[in-house]
Amino acid sequence: MTARRIVVTSGKGGVGKTTTTANLGAALAQRGKRVILVDADIGLRNLDLVLGVEKRIVFDLVEVVEGRCQLRQALVRDKRFGENLAILPAAQTREKTAVTELQFAEVVTGLGDMCDYVLIDSPAGIEHGFRNAIAGAAEALVVTTPEVSAIRDADRVIGKLQERGLPMRLIVNRVRPEMVRTGEMMSVDDVCDILSAELVGIVPDDPEVIDTTNRGVPLVLDPAQRLGAIYIKIARRLEGEMIPFTQLGAGGFFGRIFEALRAG
Amino acid sequence: METQRVVSVPSEAAPQLEIHAPSAPVESQKKPKARGRTIVVTSGKGGVGKTTTTANLGIALASRGAKVVLVDADVGLRNLDLVLGLESRVRYHVLDVLEGKVSLADALVRDKRVQTLYLLAAAQDREKDDIATDAMIGLIEQLRGEFDYVLIDSPAGIEMGFKNAIAAADEAIVVCTPEVAAVRDVDRVVGLLGNRITVQLVVNRIRPALVRKGKMLSVDDVNAILRLPLLGVLGDAPDVIIATNRGEPVALDDASETGAAYRAIAARIAGEDVAAPQAAEPEGLLDKLGSFFGGRR
Repeated sequence: MTARRIVVTSGKGGVGKTTTTANLGAALAQRGKRVILVDADIGLRNLDLVLGVEKRIVFDLVEVVEGRCQLRQALVRDKRFGENLAILPAAQTREKTAVTELQFAEVVTGLGDMCDYVLIDSPAGIEHGFRNAIAGAAEALVVTTPEVSAIRDADRVIGKLQERGLPMRLIVNRVRPEMVRTGEMMSVDDVCDILSAELVGIVPDDPEVIDTTNRGVPLVLDPAQRLGAIYIKIARRLEGEMIPFTQLGAGGFFGRIFEALRAG
Repeated sequence: METQRVVSVPSEAAPQLEIHAPSAPVESQKKPKARGRTIVVTSGKGGVGKTTTTANLGIALASRGAKVVLVDADVGLRNLDLVLGLESRVRYHVLDVLEGKVSLADALVRDKRVQTLYLLAAAQDREKDDIATDAMIGLIEQLRGEFDYVLIDSPAGIEMGFKNAIAAADEAIVVCTPEVAAVRDVDRVVGLLGNRITVQLVVNRIRPALVRKGKMLSVDDVNAILRLPLLGVLGDAPDVIIATNRGEPVALDDASETGAAYRAIAARIAGEDVAAPQAAEPEGLLDKLGSFFGGRR
């Protein structure tokens, strides 16, 4: 079992877990790595949509666990990346409790024998679906945005990851440099300080990302998208390369977040 | 408690039959118990604006003079207190009340800006499974006896926290953004809400310029799939993030366009005939995307 098994999680929903999983997977696949993405959001799956493979799903994670198909049969290959990128979809009409943590971990271990990277897209929250998603992982990427509520949730999730002894790195998503400069948004430094986390990526806010995810096109495949290059940088950092960060402004009046975290 | 007293008064003097008869003095004592409206704000997908919507509608409804309580159902990942700017005043939470550690009155935090607005915070260091659905229903029933509106801020997802949040609600406001993932999740959630709960839709974070360019789903695109009564449409305004970070919801700001939109939604909830939210939009992006729904289950 050689694959790195990485869970992408956040606590808060809508901060970019699924977009990050898809685009990071695509970037790694484009760099020649064999990557399998696992959608752990049983009942509310979306990774298939973001990759545009929703019509090609035959079997899902729950059917694998219930022994109704082979693990390999349930994988949906993204043909744009040759043999390098595949997804194991979640079931849409089942509950998260249909799979136990142990079963989930076994699936991830099985996938680990087939590829270089298993990226697990966690559901929002810290309930059963989250516990499943982290069960098979050996490391974690925490995605957050520079907003008080996202940071408070990330802090809570980081605590849970630490209880499990999972090493963790941080991606700060949807940064608006102009708002950081005017002091209306927290800087990336502020976020890292509050969470005492090691940074692996900074992704600026770009409203057109919604369009590419709506169309199911990974950003690395869309030459009009400047964000593709950013995900490639994150992929290279994951592989151990030292790539400097482009800092996006500084400032802040965010003492109340420190207060809120101390209180909670 | 009041009903018990009503029964005991006539039983002393009058023969048994009269208990069932609608005698005048009994009727005058039997005040119809006030029953506020219970509305859950939910979405399936996270980050679409549930908490922001709950906070702003709470402020807007309370500013109209209604007595409003906001209940944070996101045990373990509470945020409604932060968005309202009340985090430093939270002492007790839902579980403290359910476990009998404090009274409901002690746990309610009163907003000083809008005096008829109250918050019941979620526990931050507990799990959603710690709340039994029946206990949650009992709590909401108790609240609706004292408030005109009980707004329940649901967590993302469709797990235990969601089930508890919707259990005692008669109405739901589902919040959706113009993204296929959000639309698919709302579709799933509406299926789970069933027929007992009345559902209305708020479309959040619309950027008309992107809709015109065909780079964003329009409100019509979204509702072509969901087919829900449209309660309101909100633009994607940066002042909402700033307001959230500061704990001063835009509904408090008379100059904010989004604040005005929330006030209009509140008026509509209260039954006023406010102009319908924006109607037709240009060409449907949805046609380009194709269909991705297998129907509600």
